[in-house]
Amino acid sequence: MIRFLLRRLAAAAVLFLIVLTLTFAAVTLAPGDPLAPTDPRIPPEQAERLRALYGLDQPLPVQYLRWLGAVALSWDWGQSYQTGRPAADLLLESLPPTLLLAGAALLAQYVLGIGLGLLAARRPNSWLDLGIRAASLLVYALPTFWVGLMAVLVLGVGLGLAPTGGMTSAAAFELGPLATVLDVLAHLWLPALVLGLSMAGDIARYTRTSLIEFQSTEAGRAARARGLSDTRILLVHGLSHAGPRLVQMAAVSAPLLLSGAIVAEAVFAWPGMGSTTLQAIQSRDVPVVLAATACGAVLVIAASLAADLLLARLDPRIVAE
Amino acid sequence: MYDDSVLSLPRLAVAGLAAVVGWGCSSEAPRDTTQVRVGLRFDYPTPNELIAPPTLAYAAINNQLYLSLMEEQGDLRDGPLPWAPGLAEEWEFSEDRLQLTLRLRPDALWSDGQPVTAENVRFTWLAQTDLDVAWNYASSKESITDVEVIDARTVRFHFSAATGTQLDDIAPDRVLPGHAWEARPFAEWRSDPGWFFEHLVTSGPFRLASRTPGSELVLERNPDHFEAGLPRLERVVLRTAAESTALTNQLLAGELDVVTGIGARDALRIEGQPGLRLLAYPNRQFTFVSWNTTKPWFRDPQTRRALALAIDRQAIVDTIWHGYAQVGGSPIISSVWAHDPDLKPWPHDTAAARAELAEAGWMDADGDGILERGAVPFRFELATFAGADARWEAMQMVQADLGAVGIDAQPRRVDPNALIPRLMGQDFDAAAFGLAIPTNLDLGFLFHSEEAGSFNYAAYASPEVDRLVDAFASRHDPLEGRDDLRRLQRILHEDQPILVLWESMSLVAFDEELESVAPNAVGPLVNLKEWAWRE
Repeated sequence: MIRFLLRRLAAAAVLFLIVLTLTFAAVTLAPGDPLAPTDPRIPPEQAERLRALYGLDQPLPVQYLRWLGAVALSWDWGQSYQTGRPAADLLLESLPPTLLLAGAALLAQYVLGIGLGLLAARRPNSWLDLGIRAASLLVYALPTFWVGLMAVLVLGVGLGLAPTGGMTSAAAFELGPLATVLDVLAHLWLPALVLGLSMAGDIARYTRTSLIEFQSTEAGRAARARGLSDTRILLVHGLSHAGPRLVQMAAVSAPLLLSGAIVAEAVFAWPGMGSTTLQAIQSRDVPVVLAATACGAVLVIAASLAADLLLARLDPRIVAE
Repeated sequence: MYDDSVLSLPRLAVAGLAAVVGWGCSSEAPRDTTQVRVGLRFDYPTPNELIAPPTLAYAAINNQLYLSLMEEQGDLRDGPLPWAPGLAEEWEFSEDRLQLTLRLRPDALWSDGQPVTAENVRFTWLAQTDLDVAWNYASSKESITDVEVIDARTVRFHFSAATGTQLDDIAPDRVLPGHAWEARPFAEWRSDPGWFFEHLVTSGPFRLASRTPGSELVLERNPDHFEAGLPRLERVVLRTAAESTALTNQLLAGELDVVTGIGARDALRIEGQPGLRLLAYPNRQFTFVSWNTTKPWFRDPQTRRALALAIDRQAIVDTIWHGYAQVGGSPIISSVWAHDPDLKPWPHDTAAARAELAEAGWMDADGDGILERGAVPFRFELATFAGADARWEAMQMVQADLGAVGIDAQPRRVDPNALIPRLMGQDFDAAAFGLAIPTNLDLGFLFHSEEAGSFNYAAYASPEVDRLVDAFASRHDPLEGRDDLRRLQRILHEDQPILVLWESMSLVAFDEELESVAPNAVGPLVNLKEWAWRE
């Protein structure tokens, strides 16, 4: 198991370095100087000092090696060109809200997906089954941006069932701990639901298929012969059968969740990594773009690694391979 | 037994969700009339404005936290900028106008209890002009040779030349707390902008109570503010979002009381909503196309006039701005005293445009639908900054209008960092962008021939225009230069080195129970200290 883990970690490190290098090349080789003075009356020596402060007066390979060295040795991702703040600080501030949103969305997608899959599998080809299959295809096809906007307009602005923006109410720092938790949850459920919906359809369809398959296997027939109820057969034995693939799907959905979070954060004014990254891209804030890319890469690689490990635990044959 | 426990899980989940949803719905609580919640797209990485991104929203916030020497007035309709007393209660020019002496208020205090002094004013100037600080607007201080401290309350500015813009060059400056910040060398200011939060000392009508990066700033009333009874609100909560539509949604849902910077499409959703008021006001910005006069298509004024006739600017204003803008006829926009009201924008007249083009020698000799003059087809790139969505939509409409007269304009979005050097080097064909008219109305930077290679992207050169802008800049009383500016506008109208597409408006919406909300061109929060809920 340790060898398996080390192998995966080594592959992840190489992948991470490739992502960093490609991103560095992409953002620094794009046309235009991110620190070019917008006002021609700014004295050239002032502009030069700024460039020197951010290390842009060095040749590109030197910039890359310095940057990589600073990251590796002192976890220094550079200073934001826009705000002057350390890029790592900016990302660390906005990462927890994104993780919270993505985590809640993951939960929503599995709860909804497995629940609907179970319901559909209990009565295959019934109206309920057909309805769930059609609905899951529909939500999978709809763009998160549009679903989010509709949710805000109908459930937020129209019916007042959820706050329409932000992670907390105004001046929420005055609330007590329990009230703060409830306040955050009240702001969280709708964006998490919207973000989780698209993948929930996929999971529902897979769960349904897998459970229907299981019922026709020898194990499924044996469980029925022992007199177990349909619910128990599907929930306990059927889901164990579907488990490894469902775990794999979590790893697959990690990048989708992260990219979806960027969209959901914009629609719901959620103060996460998406907003920070979007702003950095628009203003060519290279250090922040690099740090955000690295952060996204780490999250995706970590999710994939976690899924591999979980899968290896569920199915030891994978380690042996 | 097992099945029952399984069934209880969904019930528990539903109950939990109901509790959370119930909490989310509880925004119907009675209004807290001591505070207002304002939606504003901002970034506030540091309280030190000399190293912060120079945005209007940032300035609007810092105006609440720091005192300016003088207070800018929003309305330029009736005359040149009248500066009202701010930190400086009175001021006087020397006879030769090379010195300006200001007397500071005795009752202006920093939040640490120290008085705001002439030393603070001098420190601010030193920081503004220091190369390591690298302030974006350092060039506006070029004419100031020294700032002399006469005594704690008296400070004297020394100028290299007497011009009509001396007050404008110093008046809007927010004075920095030198006594608290001088411990940090200028060379280290940019390396840690967060240091200024740790050493935060303010002097304005509000103080900074709390900050949630990327989400919220809370301002609280400064009890030591010198204006009796102001601010009227105890607290102002500023909320931000990546998209202005998200803020509009929060206003419509009752989660915010005021939203600034509303887009025209969102304004349509707010219009007529019970309990909300929508205010549109001119903001001194205009959008224009700069024709590169060194390129063969744009060398002669007749062709440039034909372009103005060919483009339906009213359609752009109606389609993109839904009426919350107006067609522009001059870079001295219509909300400014020196605007020439007799000068009407060129009308949209496709037939007249075709006739002018033909007269200027443009014709479709090869029958491909595109005009040519000699061997030069009328085909050019029309660049604009990436990210400027309204401008991009407008460029599509310009392309269609020009296509109708046989001109192939190819809109292209370019990263600002890549486009600006191209503009300065005249390495472009035509480009559209926005600009705020300087309050001192000195348009030399846009049209003076010596500014080609700088802000005069069009590389426009006219000896008469050079003479007029020089004459206006040297006048002590701008009103005496009204005729110069009218003459200037008429020449620009005929020559068309730039085509003004539209004059912008800013939109603010707020709860109608809120009184004294009076935004103007200075900013949406200009009189925040006077806002209050109706009794």
